[in-house]
This record gives sequence, structure tokens and C-alpha cells, in this order.
Amino acid sequence: MINREAGVFQTSYRSDMALYTLPLAKITVWVTLGFLLILPLPLMLGNNQHAMSIVNTIALAAIGAIGLNILNGYTGQISLGQGAFMAVGGYTAAILSSRYGMPFWFGILAGGSMAALVGTLFGIPSLRIKGLYLAIATLAAQLIIEWTINHVSWIGGGAQSSIYVDTPTFLGLAFNNEFRRYYLILTFFLLAYFAAQNLVRSRVGRAFIAVRDRDVAAEIIGVNIFKYKLIAFAVSSFYAGVAGALWTYYLRIANYENFTLGTSIEYLTMIIIGGLGSVLGSVLGAIFIKLLPIALDLSVIRIAKGVFGIPYESVANFLANFQLFIFGALIILFLIAEPEGLARLWENIKRYFRLWPYAY
Amino acid sequence: MEFFIDLMTNGLLVGLMYALVAVGFVLIYKATSIINFAQGDLVMFAGYGAAVMLGLRGLPLWLMVLILCLGMVALGFVLERGILRPMVGQPLVSVIMVTIGLSFVLQGLVAIVWGAGTRKLELPVPLAPYVVGPVFISPINVVAAVIALVFLIAFGLFFTRSRLGVAMRAVADDQQAAMVVGIRVSRVFALSWAIAGLAAAAGGIIWGNMLGASSLLSLVGLKVFPVVILGGLDSIGGAIVGGLILGAVESVAAGYLDPYVGGGTKDFIPYVLMILVLFIRPYGIWGHETIERV
Amino acid sequence: MRLRRWMVGCLVLACVIGVGSMVPAVADEIVMGGQCDRTGPTKPVGIQICPGVLDYVKLVNKQGGVKGHTLRYIEVEHGYKVDRGVEAYERLKRDGAVALLDYGTPIVYALTPRHMEDKLPGLTPGFGRADSTDGERYPYIFPMAASYWSQIGAAMQYLKDKGGAKKGTKIAYLFYDNPAGREPLAIFNRICEMEGYECRDFAVPAPGVEMASQVLDITRRMRADWVVGHLFGNAPSVSIKELKKNGFPLDKVLSLVWGAGEEDMKTAGWDTAQGYLGMQFAGVGRDFPVIQDIIKMYQAENQEVPEHVGWVYYNRGVLIAALMVEGVRLAIEREGLPVTGEKVKKGFESIKDFTLGGFLPPLTVVPEDHEGGGWVRLYQTKGEKIVPFTDWFRGYREIVLEEVKKAAKAEEKK
Repeated sequence: MINREAGVFQTSYRSDMALYTLPLAKITVWVTLGFLLILPLPLMLGNNQHAMSIVNTIALAAIGAIGLNILNGYTGQISLGQGAFMAVGGYTAAILSSRYGMPFWFGILAGGSMAALVGTLFGIPSLRIKGLYLAIATLAAQLIIEWTINHVSWIGGGAQSSIYVDTPTFLGLAFNNEFRRYYLILTFFLLAYFAAQNLVRSRVGRAFIAVRDRDVAAEIIGVNIFKYKLIAFAVSSFYAGVAGALWTYYLRIANYENFTLGTSIEYLTMIIIGGLGSVLGSVLGAIFIKLLPIALDLSVIRIAKGVFGIPYESVANFLANFQLFIFGALIILFLIAEPEGLARLWENIKRYFRLWPYAY
Repeated sequence: MEFFIDLMTNGLLVGLMYALVAVGFVLIYKATSIINFAQGDLVMFAGYGAAVMLGLRGLPLWLMVLILCLGMVALGFVLERGILRPMVGQPLVSVIMVTIGLSFVLQGLVAIVWGAGTRKLELPVPLAPYVVGPVFISPINVVAAVIALVFLIAFGLFFTRSRLGVAMRAVADDQQAAMVVGIRVSRVFALSWAIAGLAAAAGGIIWGNMLGASSLLSLVGLKVFPVVILGGLDSIGGAIVGGLILGAVESVAAGYLDPYVGGGTKDFIPYVLMILVLFIRPYGIWGHETIERV
Repeated sequence: MRLRRWMVGCLVLACVIGVGSMVPAVADEIVMGGQCDRTGPTKPVGIQICPGVLDYVKLVNKQGGVKGHTLRYIEVEHGYKVDRGVEAYERLKRDGAVALLDYGTPIVYALTPRHMEDKLPGLTPGFGRADSTDGERYPYIFPMAASYWSQIGAAMQYLKDKGGAKKGTKIAYLFYDNPAGREPLAIFNRICEMEGYECRDFAVPAPGVEMASQVLDITRRMRADWVVGHLFGNAPSVSIKELKKNGFPLDKVLSLVWGAGEEDMKTAGWDTAQGYLGMQFAGVGRDFPVIQDIIKMYQAENQEVPEHVGWVYYNRGVLIAALMVEGVRLAIEREGLPVTGEKVKKGFESIKDFTLGGFLPPLTVVPEDHEGGGWVRLYQTKGEKIVPFTDWFRGYREIVLEEVKKAAKAEEKK
């Protein structure tokens, strides 16, 4: 069968080292890519910019989540500063674009690099501090960066701490509606995804996993723990910076209130629900967490109106908080049901079909 | 100079209040190795409960305190049984995530049941300050500090003198050995959550009076992280000292540094201090150093 | 395993219902929309403003709608988060809204480019960006009530005229440390320099509940004569208690518009807050024809009138809805159907002497001035009510307008 390894023989080193070796995997990837490319078309027909904006938000979140997963899931360093590093990337891009007129791709790369630098700096405590202590130390990064943006007006852009950027253009084509922005974001998302997939299979990726699982043993066999921890911080912050810069270009404004502690916790939620240590998991987690409030919003209101005939006004307060309640409850239930996240769920589904009709 | 003394006394008193919330945190960590992100929300829940009960006419203060403490202890038991028991043995990060989910649930629940407005928590303490020499001391801070101290001393005695307390320390030290000796670990877990609920009740009353019972009380939980890290995640004495240090540093820094940098130093100075201390003592001042073996 | 199946099922159900809920607007209905914060940091305010808006729209519909058309107001909860605010905007746009309430200063900033592009007017009364007073620079943003700059100007004017401020008077500015709180700072410092006051500003970090050191500084080290407060959310009540704790007289405390609601007094304690001065841009209390109509509406439906009807923030909600409705009405009158965002914008700009029965100061909006004059009024806490303390006034208008022009020039230069 095309989904089994049996009977699939690789005849060159190159094909053996490929990311997807099974024929079914290759087909799936091409089909998914094709689907992603033509996704906006039905929405464009109805000019449904709203749905497109939701997809864009998810894609942006996924980039940040992949970055965080590299640090948390593969290297085992719990970080609560993702929002701050995104802010660094976002503001760098905004400053370069609005004050120095740099094009957007430069802004994004520069934003990522700046965030990587700052991230490495805040990763230095990982030399001495471990585990949950490190997590709280990264919380310091979040607060310090937020404070800096708020109070240093050269960085933050004055009293309002926000900087506008013009609509990004590429070869004369302006990204001024959701559909065009989708393709911009999609490019970076695909780059981020495949880069991450390859990173974790490489030597560096194996070093990360070693640091997570048994860092003392890793050090003994010659893995330079400190260096790899810093690399993990740098890469993860680069992803965060790119995501932040893309957010800035998407909203056309850099505002630190997009990147608060709540954002950091949101990303942490995404990767935990999605599955630590899995790039696909980050994407699934991003979809789940970003879609859930919207779905709850729409469905709860519809049910209240349609089934119970209650008009919005009398229960507005209740509904809004009920959504928050359900959100937390769903997270708890989901983790009780499947603590290792959506990626594990997906693995189970795949395994079921691989072993079918046998149970194990 | 008197400004400095003012800031210092104020800071120390607030620090004790931090310590009270921190103790709940440390208790759960000590016994179960779980970081409870929902501790602040438990404080908020207790604060709302206290405010609502006090709002009912004719309810004497002591009765409210009694009901609140019993209620929070019960809540602790329920939470441990319902949510944490199924997660035994799961990766630590998942459990932390569950507590984060719990914090959302509590926030939504409080707003659904008691409405989203801020409520007043009236305590029979006058607002006008005592003047002791050059220093103004506000009575509510003193009362809060006294309550905090009483609780902290009570906890300390509980853990060192009573059988149950010693059993809890045994479980925290080495679960398997404790089981061998015959201590019911599941009961200890439940108890640790219950006592954390009790600490949250005390914290809720005090902080609710100071800030008004609102959803912002849950942010006190956030404030408490540097306190426990500074003092060591599994040391109650560390929580107390950490709270005092942090309260004082925050207050003095805000008073003297803020005018130069435009404000807001209170937010991150505790964390900077915390990182510096962690460089010297990676497990906090009194934290238990984990010995890692290959 | 069963639990897992249940959850997947529920999720699928939710998604299906969610997708199926994309309902197009009924023809002949005019749609307006807005975001609301009932779960986030400004929820003490949101839970009163939003019902105010909804109640007024219901009232108008009961009275026959606007020129015979029913109104539909769609409220989307965003918890004060920018990305949800953006999604809310797109959703409201899709549902055909012709005017929007943008709730929250950071959301206003994030949505300004979209308002301009989509030609949809957005209202930001009493908050938002002060430079949107310049309607020519920001044609689709309408503050329509005193911006933060006008508020601080009025506050300083009061201090000079009635507060006995002269050269050497010490004024403290206690503010929430975020962009909204910092916006008046430039004008505050400028006026202080001009008049020779000794001024200092004190930032209260988010979430605005710890200000013990700041208040200690104000009362003991600086020994200020006046405190101008710009706090919101839960901060005002804490500030009242802290100031009282340190023995500072509350009738020398003047709060800008978002720190002066009944909720704040109630939480701090009415007896604690006696004498506190608060600035308003809409009438307070039930003594206005429009509020009385709303009360009659509740009674006609045999429903209990909620406590917050007539309160500060609720009335502001009514004001917002009234402004939207007035804009739509003028749009239909002058430009005709069907109603679009552009027409409503012109409708807003033709609002003239609109007072809604004494509820607001006479509001006249023109393309150059989307603020409508910047009128405010001071109210004081007496007994268990907030009572009028001054009449409608404004202050330092030339300085405010100068700053608006400066901001516009700075934007153009970029």
C-alpha cells in the first residue's frame, strides 16, 4: 500500500535523506500545497475578506508558534517572552520602513535578525538557570522590552508607542487587500515550515533534542550545551521577529499592545495544545487557538438566539464571559483527553490507517 | 529621609501580603511539583466571594471568613480531584497548561456568576493613617501584614510540628519513600491544594480590600512569580523573605527611580533583581538544589 | 476515548454552526456595528457602555426607526485585543455596517488605515487619538467629544479660573502608563511652563492598581496642591483610596473622563470619595428626556430598570448610539438611500447644534473639526450621587488646536 514503508526502496543518498520518503507523504504534501495556493479563490469570488483575514491571522500565528516550539518543544527551554521578541521584530521593521523607507522584505529580515540578537541576549541566563526558573526569567524579557518600547520614544515612536507603515509593495504591486496579503504571508509561512522541518532533522536539531532530554549526558559526549541553547533562543526569536514584522505589515501599524504577556501565553497554549516537539503540531495548535474564540463567538450567539430565542442584549455579558469559560474548559478537557496535543492525535489517526485492518 | 522610611515601611508591609499569596504557590509546588498558574485566580475567586458575602445584609465578618475559608478548602479539594488527578504522570508542561486553562475558567466563571463589575470589600478598618514619628502608616496595611504573619507562622508550625505537615514534607522530598513508609500520597496532594485554597482565601480578603474585588486580582498571581523564584520554589521561608525583599525593592525603586525614567520601573525591577540573584543561586535563595544524574 | 470523540464532535458542530451563521443583512435595515470589551481590562466600563448603545438603538427602533428604517447594531466582543478588534472590523464590514464604534485607543490606531481605505466612519468619543480632531487629515475618524488633549486643556483652565492656581502652584499628573494615559502629557507640560506651575507627572504601571509609592511621593514629598488624574479601569478607585489613606483632600483631585464613574465611587466607597471632581462629556443621571424614554421602554416591557441606567458610562453609551443615529439620519436626509459609509461620513460632518435634550453640549461637527468643540463639564461626588459642579466649558483651545496642527504636519513629513 502506498502508505507503508515496505516496498519503498531509496536508491540514492539524496532520496534517502529527503524530508518525505513515502509516496503517500509526497502526494499529500503536493496536494496540500496546491490547496493552500488556490484557497483564496472561492473566497475572492464572494469578496469574503473576513474569512481571509481569519486565515491570515492563523498563518501569522503559526509562524510564531513554530518558532516557540523550536525553543520549548525541541530544546526544552520554557520561554514566556515570545510576545516581546515579536514586538522587537515588529518595531524594527516599522522603524526601518517608516523612517528610512526600506522595502518590506528588508524590514522583515532585519526585524527577525534584531529579534534574534535580543533573544540571544535574554537567553544568556540559560547558562545557569534551568527549567521553571528560566521560564520566569524570560518573563523578565517580556516586561523589560515592553517597558523599553513604552518609554524610549526613539524606539516606540512617541507618546502613542505605535508606528505606522505604508502598505507594502512588491514590484509595484501593493498588498492592499486580504487576498494579496495572504500570498505574502503564505510565502513566509512555507519558508518557515520547511526550514523548521529540516532544522530539527539536522545535527543542530538533534543537539536540541539532546539538550532537552538529558543535558548532562549530552555535555559528556561533547555537545556544547550553552552554544546550542543560545542557537535555539536565536532561531526561535528570529521566527518571532519575522512573525512580528509580518504582523506590522499586515496591520500597517506596530503597536506593543499586540505583543503583550497575554500573547506570549497564547503562543505557549498553542504549542502545548498542538504538541510540543512537532512542527506540524505548532500549526495545528495555532489553528485551534485562533479559530476557537471566533467559532465560540458565532456559535454561542447563534444558539442563544435560534434555540432559546434570547435577544443579544439581555445576555451579552453572560455570553462574552461564557466564551472565556468554555475556552478554558476546552483546553483543560483537551489536555486531559490527549496531553500530548493535536500532533499526537494526528499521529494516532495516521497509525490507525497504517495498521488497518490490524489494531496494532 | 522620611520619604525613604515611608517607602520602606509601605514596601515591607505590602511584601508580607505578597508572601501570603506566594505561600499558596509554594505549597502546591512543594508537594506536587506543579506550577499553579491559577493561584492568582483563586485569590480573585476568594476576593469576589468575600465581597459578595459581605454585601449580604447582616452577615457578620467572622462568619464570612469562616464560610470563605471552608469554601476555598472545598474548592481546593474539588480542583485537585477533578482536574489534577487525571493528569498525574503526564508531562509537566501539560499540567501547567491545565492550570492556565483553569485560570481562564475561573475568570469566566466569576464574571458569569457574580457579574463583571468591581466590588467593594469593606473591612472595619479606618482609612486615616497612623502617624508614628515621621512615618505615615496606614492601618489596613498593618492589619493585612498581621493577618499574613499569623497565617505564615501557622503554616510554619503546621509543617514542622504536626504529623500531617511532616507527612507533606516527606512526600515533597521523595514520593516513593513516603509511599513505602505508608503515607497516602493522594491525600497529601489533595491537602496541599486545600491549604493553598486557604491561603488564597486570606489573600483574597486582604487584596480584595486593597484593590477592590475585580478580575485584576488575578494579576497578583503574576506578581508573585518573582517572589517565589527569589525565595526558592519550594521553600516557605523563602517565600516570606522573598516577599519582603521584593516589596521593599519595588517600593523604593518606584519612589526614587520613576521620576528619572518616566515611570513603570515597578514592573521590571523585581525581575532584574531576580535574574541577578538567580545567577548566583540558580535555585533561589533557599531553593532545593536538584541533583541531576545521568 | 469517548471523551475525545465527544470533543471532536463538539468542535465540528461549533464550526458548522459558525460557518452557517454568516447571515446577510435584511434589505431595508440599516446596519451599524461596534466592538465591546466585556471581558478584558476595561470591562467595568464596557459592561455599561455597550448596554447603553443597545438600549438606545432599541428605543429608536421602537419609535419607528430612522426615517422608517429599522436599525441593527451588531456588537462584537474583542476583549480589548487588537487582533480580535481587526477581525471584528472585518466581520462588521462584511455584514454591511455603515458606521462603527471603535472601542479602545490601540484598536483605533490599528484600524485607522482600514477606515480610510474602506471609507467607513469610526466613532471614538472621549478616547481614541487626539489628532483625529483634524478631519481633513483623518476624514473617517470622528472623536465627536472632547479628546484627551481638550480634556487636559479644560482641566488646567478650571484650575486657573476656579482652582486658584497661580505661579508656583504644585500640580501632580497621575496617569495610567500607556499611550492613552500619556497623550495629554505634552500639553500638560506646556501649560505648566506657560503659567509657571510646578508640575510633576507620575506614571502608574499597568494594570494600574499599584500606586502606593506614587501617591506617597505626591502627598508627602512633593506635597502637591492639586492632582489631575487620568486613570481608568480599576485604577481610579484605588487612587481614591490611596489618596485618602495619605490624607489628601479629594476636592483637590480632578479626574479626566474615564476615572469618574459611579462604579469607581462605589468600589472606593461613597463616603471615602466625597468631594472628588470628575470630568464628563455627557450628562449624568436620569434627569434627561432620552433616559426617561429608555426607562419608560423598560417599564412598558414589564422589565426591571437596570441600576446602571443613568450612570456615567451608560449615558456615554447612549450618547454614542445617538450620534451614530443622528449621522445616519442626516445622511438619509441629505444624500438619500442606500446608506453607505461615505454618506454617513458626510452626515456626521453636518451635525449642527445637536444636544439631545440637554444631554450634551451643543455639538457642531465640521470637516476641519471632528471633535465638535471639546466641551466638558465637571461633576462632584456628593452623598451617594454625582452632581453637577460646573457648566459646560473648555479651555486652552488655541494650544490644543496648535498641537493638532503640529501633529498633522509631523505625519505629513513622514
